[in-house]
Amino acid sequence: MAALRRIGCLLVPHFAAAAAVRAEPALAGRPLAVLDGARPGRLVIETSAEARALGVLPGMTEAAAQSRPGEVICRERVPAHEAAARQALLEVGVVHSPRVEEAGPGEVYLDVAGLGALFGDEPALARRMAARARVAGLHARVGIAGSRVAARLAARRAEECVCVPPGTDAAHLRAAPIALLDLSLEMAQRFARWGIRTLGELADLPGRDLAERLGTEGSRLQALARGEDLRPLDPWRPPPRFEETHELDWALDNLEPLFGLFAECAERLCARLEAQALAADRFEWSCRLAARVGETPRTVEGAFVPPVPTHEARAVMAVLRATLAAEPPTAPVTALALRAQSVRVSASQEPLDGDGRPSPRTLAETVARVIALVGPGNLGVPVLLDSHRPDSLRLEPLNAAALLSQAKSTDGEEARGTLALRRCRPPRPAQVRLIGGRPVYLRAAGLAGPIVASAGPWRSSGEWWLENRWASDEWDVELADGTLGRLAHDGSVWVLEGIYD
Amino acid sequence: MAIQKEPLPPPGWGLEGSAASLLEAFPRGQLSEIVGPRSAGGSSLVTSLLAHATAAGALVALVDGSDSFDPAGAAAAGAALRSLLWVRAGRRPDAACRAAELLARSGGFAWVVLDLSTDPTEPSERRLSSLGAATWIRLQRAVRDTPTRLVLHASRHLAGSAAALVLNVTRGSARWMGAPRPTRLEGIGSRVEVAKTRASSPFLPAVSTDARWTLAWRL
Repeated sequence: MAALRRIGCLLVPHFAAAAAVRAEPALAGRPLAVLDGARPGRLVIETSAEARALGVLPGMTEAAAQSRPGEVICRERVPAHEAAARQALLEVGVVHSPRVEEAGPGEVYLDVAGLGALFGDEPALARRMAARARVAGLHARVGIAGSRVAARLAARRAEECVCVPPGTDAAHLRAAPIALLDLSLEMAQRFARWGIRTLGELADLPGRDLAERLGTEGSRLQALARGEDLRPLDPWRPPPRFEETHELDWALDNLEPLFGLFAECAERLCARLEAQALAADRFEWSCRLAARVGETPRTVEGAFVPPVPTHEARAVMAVLRATLAAEPPTAPVTALALRAQSVRVSASQEPLDGDGRPSPRTLAETVARVIALVGPGNLGVPVLLDSHRPDSLRLEPLNAAALLSQAKSTDGEEARGTLALRRCRPPRPAQVRLIGGRPVYLRAAGLAGPIVASAGPWRSSGEWWLENRWASDEWDVELADGTLGRLAHDGSVWVLEGIYD
Repeated sequence: MAIQKEPLPPPGWGLEGSAASLLEAFPRGQLSEIVGPRSAGGSSLVTSLLAHATAAGALVALVDGSDSFDPAGAAAAGAALRSLLWVRAGRRPDAACRAAELLARSGGFAWVVLDLSTDPTEPSERRLSSLGAATWIRLQRAVRDTPTRLVLHASRHLAGSAAALVLNVTRGSARWMGAPRPTRLEGIGSRVEVAKTRASSPFLPAVSTDARWTLAWRL
């Protein structure tokens, strides 16, 4: 004998308004209109029952809503409040059943078959769920039936709880409006043309003919109208929280042991990520600092984004080490925490004709270790700035995937045999002796000697419209020992810009 | 008095006709060395290698031990900077060697160039002397069994027996335009000779020690 299917529906009507009331309990029982959109054209998207009694309806403008008799309270829609309310309603379901499905904001289905031994009969279960929802700040209606449609209808009609006896779903649904099925516009128009207005009328249609006219969708809708719901629940699972913490028995004032503890947290965190085939695209760390007696402990925090989502503890620690070494905590640490924001990353397969270049993840891990050696800001792809000022460039942070994809293009310019300049960073102060306006002797750090040949001056200047305008005369010089260099004079100081090599 | 205008030389390729043989001289999966004094053209050779590799669509890494790399000059030489990873090691040869080892070991770069060419008065030059033979052997082992060409550029021989190829770059004469007084530096000449070579595979003959190249670098 097939197991009897029993579905419970937790329904919170006017959900956006209910979420606002949950966040601000003082609004309970008062006419409330939730607004959305940009001023001045904000519209009412949801109202409380009290506001509807005053004639405030969704779609009204803010001005129209406030012009109604009575004091209508307007609140702007806050997505965070709605997300918290959805989470709370799901948790009410999870407390009672292992299989919970979220059908939309304020609508949750749960499998209640076999829960009698835990919670008593169905009316008792329904009252318990409603009470639990009230504790969570939501006024939920509960319906229990053999199918989603019937349970939802029961919840809609209930003041609080309605249980449809087993095997009576079809009779319970007969008089219900066909809109209960959430029809598409096309289907709704078709049924309207046919004069089908209730679920009972839809259920009475010949099944074969309906299937011929509407296909599988028509058959599905008819099954629902008869209370037949064979689709299993799509279970909701709470999002995993990836966090590892460590409380210390005594305050830690040395970086190396702190790194060691963070490394342990990173190992555990990354192992949990890897076990669920997840990676993290953002990591957050925090250290609670020791405080004097009577003072509130402070917490220092930070976050970093790896070049590619990763679950490699080494890559995480490479960046975290560099970060904490650059700016260590200002007081001994009494607790630490490491959190990861997980993402699901699909595995990519190397092409068969791969040219041996690393995967973005491998490259990112290698680069993270190099960053730990040379420091952040000293590794990247050079980008020339649009300026004539010498040595105008910046280092762009590495984007592993972009670097690998761009390197594959072969539209590069043809290589040319250009004489390279080894730049002195910063340019070295130089002492230059002039005869007839031409340099004849040079003394700079590491260089000294007569100048046997020179060419210049080559005037360069720029950014005259800015405060940091610049101008310099450049000279190419050759010393007696064969060294070729570039000198620059800004009108007051000579510098050695570089050595040609 | 008539003013004589000096015709500018056309842009030219420094490794005229011999580019392929010189570039192919560097063995994959091995440590090579380019040694040359100041203004001999060693850096120009390195820049040309990077330009040639990036122009062909390869990914290259430059570990700059003296923070002297000039990206504008590399771009003028034809390098695709978007395919170049520049590591500024801040005049710390030990960190530069370690970074080069990591990049070479990853096996994903066609060329990894470790530039340790410094001025004799630089403090980092003294730190170079503290790098023992183990450093170069580690580099040799890091690049082994990878398709990467690891090139060390220095002012003097450093890698010892760990290098499979050593090229000596000697200074040619500087070429100046204009007479009687120079008005423009045209470029320099370089001579590249094979000081040492070791075959990486019995199937791939090493470049001959008799091979030499005469190169011209134009400003």
